Amino acid sequence: MKENTKEIVDVNSLNLKKGDLVKEVEELCGENLYGCYQCGTCSAGCPFVDDMDLSPDEILRYVILDRKEVLNSKTIWLCAACYTCAERCPRDINITKIMEALRQIILRKKIDKTNIRKIAKEEMETIPQLAFVCLFRKNVG
Amino acid sequence: MPLKSYDKKIDHDLEIPLQDDYFYDEPEEIIENNNMPQLESTAKIVVERAKRGEKRAIQSDVLIIGAGISGMQAALDVADKGYKVVIIDKTSTIGGAMVKLDKTFPTNDCSICTAAPKMVELSRHPNINLITYAEVNSLEGKPGDFKVNIWRKSKYVDPDKCTGCDDCAEVCPVEVVNPFDEKLSTRKAIYIEFPQAVPIVYTIDYDACVGCGSCDRVCEPEAISFLEKSEEIEVNVGSVIVATGFEVFEPTEMRKEYGYSKYENVITALQFERLLSSFGPTEGKVFRLSDRKKPKSIGWIQCVGSRSEQLGFPYCSRVCCMYATKEASITKEANPEMDITIYYMDIRAYGKDFQQYYDHAKDLGVKYVRGRPSSVYENLDKSLTIRYKDTLTGKIEENKVDMLVLSTAIIPNQGNKKLGEILGINVDDNGFFKQSSLLTDPIQSSRDGIFLAGCIQGPKDIPDSVSMASGAAAKAIAPIKDREKHTGKEFPPEKDVLHEKPRIGVFICHCGKNISNYLDVDKVTEETKKLPNVDYAEHMMFACSEDSCKKIKESVQVKGLNRIIVAACSPRTHGGLFQDTLMEAGLNKYLFEMANIRNHCSWVHSNNWAEATDKAIRLVRASVAKARHLESLSEEEFSIYPRTLILGGGISGMKAALALANMGIKSIIIEKEPELGGRLRNLHSMFPTDTKTEDILKPMINEATRNKLITVMTNAELDELEGYIGNYKGKIKQKGKKKDIEFGTIIVATGFREINLKGKYQYGKNKNIISQTELETQLKKNTLRAPKNVVIINCAGAMDEERPYCCRVGCGVSIKNAKLISQKYPKTKTYLLYRDMRVFGKDEEEYYADVLKNSHLTTIRYPGDKKPEIILDKNNPIDGSVTVKVYDDILHEELEFPADLVVLTVNTEGEVMTNKLKNMLKVPVDAAGFFIETHAKIKPLDFSTSGVYMCGAAHYPKNLVDSIAQAEGAASRASIPIFQERMKGEGIVSEVNNEICRGCGICISACAYSAIDLQPHPRDSSRLVAEVNKALCKGCGSCAAACLNSAIEQKGYKNKQINEMIAALLEEKVAI
Repeated sequence: MKENTKEIVDVNSLNLKKGDLVKEVEELCGENLYGCYQCGTCSAGCPFVDDMDLSPDEILRYVILDRKEVLNSKTIWLCAACYTCAERCPRDINITKIMEALRQIILRKKIDKTNIRKIAKEEMETIPQLAFVCLFRKNVG
Repeated sequence: MPLKSYDKKIDHDLEIPLQDDYFYDEPEEIIENNNMPQLESTAKIVVERAKRGEKRAIQSDVLIIGAGISGMQAALDVADKGYKVVIIDKTSTIGGAMVKLDKTFPTNDCSICTAAPKMVELSRHPNINLITYAEVNSLEGKPGDFKVNIWRKSKYVDPDKCTGCDDCAEVCPVEVVNPFDEKLSTRKAIYIEFPQAVPIVYTIDYDACVGCGSCDRVCEPEAISFLEKSEEIEVNVGSVIVATGFEVFEPTEMRKEYGYSKYENVITALQFERLLSSFGPTEGKVFRLSDRKKPKSIGWIQCVGSRSEQLGFPYCSRVCCMYATKEASITKEANPEMDITIYYMDIRAYGKDFQQYYDHAKDLGVKYVRGRPSSVYENLDKSLTIRYKDTLTGKIEENKVDMLVLSTAIIPNQGNKKLGEILGINVDDNGFFKQSSLLTDPIQSSRDGIFLAGCIQGPKDIPDSVSMASGAAAKAIAPIKDREKHTGKEFPPEKDVLHEKPRIGVFICHCGKNISNYLDVDKVTEETKKLPNVDYAEHMMFACSEDSCKKIKESVQVKGLNRIIVAACSPRTHGGLFQDTLMEAGLNKYLFEMANIRNHCSWVHSNNWAEATDKAIRLVRASVAKARHLESLSEEEFSIYPRTLILGGGISGMKAALALANMGIKSIIIEKEPELGGRLRNLHSMFPTDTKTEDILKPMINEATRNKLITVMTNAELDELEGYIGNYKGKIKQKGKKKDIEFGTIIVATGFREINLKGKYQYGKNKNIISQTELETQLKKNTLRAPKNVVIINCAGAMDEERPYCCRVGCGVSIKNAKLISQKYPKTKTYLLYRDMRVFGKDEEEYYADVLKNSHLTTIRYPGDKKPEIILDKNNPIDGSVTVKVYDDILHEELEFPADLVVLTVNTEGEVMTNKLKNMLKVPVDAAGFFIETHAKIKPLDFSTSGVYMCGAAHYPKNLVDSIAQAEGAASRASIPIFQERMKGEGIVSEVNNEICRGCGICISACAYSAIDLQPHPRDSSRLVAEVNKALCKGCGSCAAACLNSAIEQKGYKNKQINEMIAALLEEKVAI
């Protein structure tokens, strides 16, 4: 796990048994993660990869290896759901859906760390509306 | 072809030198030229036949569709057995895809140089009827009696008249994109595909031709016939072999993020191959298409279109890793300063010497980056930026290259479906042709009597295609084996010229304008007439035309000539034709000599009339000097004992025996174990179809033991061997007794075994650490207790310093066994540790993807220099569980797994008896104990020693499909001498002078064909002298060159003959 990943969620509170993470993700998104060849196409094409703590292919790897700290990764929240990864994946794995599934695991536990009131006024004015819409939609599922 | 100078020609009306206007091409001179051949045109016959509404019908034995390397090999294999073959190709030449390549991996042999001799051999074979520019229209009938209609498109050029001089293409005003050069160059509307094309007959591209008639006006032999019509030909055959090859994926729509066809400097690997080729559009110089400058950096992207479940093809194309490595290392070797990178997912260096070839490329400085680029952008200077993630460092990076090569997928022919419908055979989901049974009968199509060879049933490299083509030839014989055999032409008895003084006839060829325009043919003839022993000399327009050959024949008979020289082109293409003419005239074919005054003289000295004439005179003089000393040579004839000995009774051995039996040939299988079946007996099932080994073995053993033509000897071993091809005598040791047997040919099918790990990976110390074979035996006997955590470690003892090679089958086996475990114990967690996932080919890759998904197999890639470690439990080292430590190459972390079962995929080596066999059979073996074939690419089943062949894992570890294809191929090769009944050796062989030979034995080590032995001197048995076996000698001359005492001479190239030639070449200049 890279250093800048701060703990957002206490993964133990999620009640995921050993080996359950991948099952949960697969159930939520309907994708088969084990088909991944670890070729890195998704990461190389991702427009936000420079800001991510784990690249999209690493996210998949963490899930397969049952590393629950993946849920604390910034990556899943930074994903803009642009579907470039899904479009280019040679194995036809929809990585965007996997990101959504990971977000859902947290959101369905009603864990929401976004505090609208804490957003600075300056940010409110400069950040495009659409970004807020996206953010809230991510957060409410 | 040289540039032509027309300043020798004068316009009759204006009396000025002609430049390049072909309309003034001196029609009078052509009409006056008495030497112009008046040939009977086949074109005329076709036109007349069409008018009458008749069809040409050919009675033959086997039809082969497609004349690439597979089709050619199959045709030669059938024809050599004495059966008639019709081979067709839809292009105007033969050679297929192989001739487009520059070099071939892993030997870097020149591709055209290995293919061209096969092409010439095919076109000259008396049993082969070659029809180019033709396709199949319809097929009906049953095995043994197929009626096939073939549509032969008109080339509008009379093949009997065309000499391939290229005059027509020079004047043709139409430029067409050249598909042979992968669209990198243009050709004319009248063209040959490439300079070495067979047949060398030009073709008019009907769609592009504007009908201006320029070619017709310049064609001296009047070969252009616009009236010629396309025709339907009926071919009656007993079986059909389909070998129509493959196409290459064009990433214009799918995978367009790599910018092919949008950015100029993005090309496909086949285009790069044409750039490298010496007869390609750039004559072997690599440059960027945008500015024709040499690139400073080149990148290769692998798996473009292959291994892709979306937008592409799910299978692995099997050859791309190696051809990219080849192209990259050839380029790097020539330009060490160039920056070369290959972007890959897994490097599949699976074959014999492939891993070493890949390691060598890395040593040369070719960079390999594991990561599949996501996109490519063009910069202002037309260079390209590749964006990728280097998965081994974890960094997202961008790299700028001057040129980008895409290793595009091999895809099925677009026409496969249509051809499948015509032939009544099935294609699979991808569009490749379906086998009747993938594992046990890979050559048989879904219809009896129709067989598959080469890439039409999935991507394949050249040796696998060639083996399979030989196998198809063996299977195609079964329905026609009782037909009459054809042994070639009968010739009149030879005249004895031993005591005659040399009477030399010299025939000097104009080759249209090719020779006569650049040197003085009259002068050469005149000078030749002055030479001693020359009884007759003349010049002719085309020495190779039928009437010229008739003339040569007549002059031998009327004028009593006894040595013939033709001064024309190359003996490689035309020597055989003239030798046939000599034999028809009743002369020994070795009383012939050829002076190459075209390729070696007129073409290369096209701008110096006087010197070219002088050189031509010298070349002819040298040939005359040699011809004075030419002797009649006899070819050793020997009979063939009609039985084959097969060493090894595994799948390969049994399949070879069955293939022989189907052709009606007897064989003996020798198996060291008490039962037939080989390694398969210990295995559970086979990938990629999960067929149980019993289901494969039982019917096959039954069939082999019941077949009356097959003798099975178990618990037996070959103890002694003597003799040579056709006449072997061996002693078989069986249960303490020795038995004498006789046979004509030998097939080595001794297989392979797992290496001794010598305690590596704690093997042998803990009973939970087992090999793949042990695991399969346990699964088969159902003695495996349910494990919780299984770790499979691939490449145990492979690709390291001691054994630098890949075991080819390990990845497939490990995946299959992981699947078996997960099926049997669904709760078990399986980890597969690998280095590169080498599940090459069509079915294997799809199998791998399926297992990954369905069995939830976790794969972990480890680097070659950090091997996984196994730590035994201190308290219970012998049967406790263990801990496996592995460095994950992609996560860059050391991982630890507890495991109660560790399965090692152990590397393999040649079987125990390899060394004994090596000495007995006099054949070479590599460091790993695998037998070495004659030629890694085009002769994968033959040893250089005639009469001995190999198949299966004795050659290199192999999966079942490849082993069976090879076994059937080896049966085809081994049956050729038996079908021929009597064989002839070479006329040009080495000869030992017993009196000077000192018996040092240097010649024995120089001989690549094991043809020399030391024997007691016939009169003085106290000393040993070298003796050449004329049946095995190929006349290469190595021994003569090696002999320290000049005791060996090569017939036809004796020292005296060569010395006289040299002296004649260096004689004084003739005043011109």
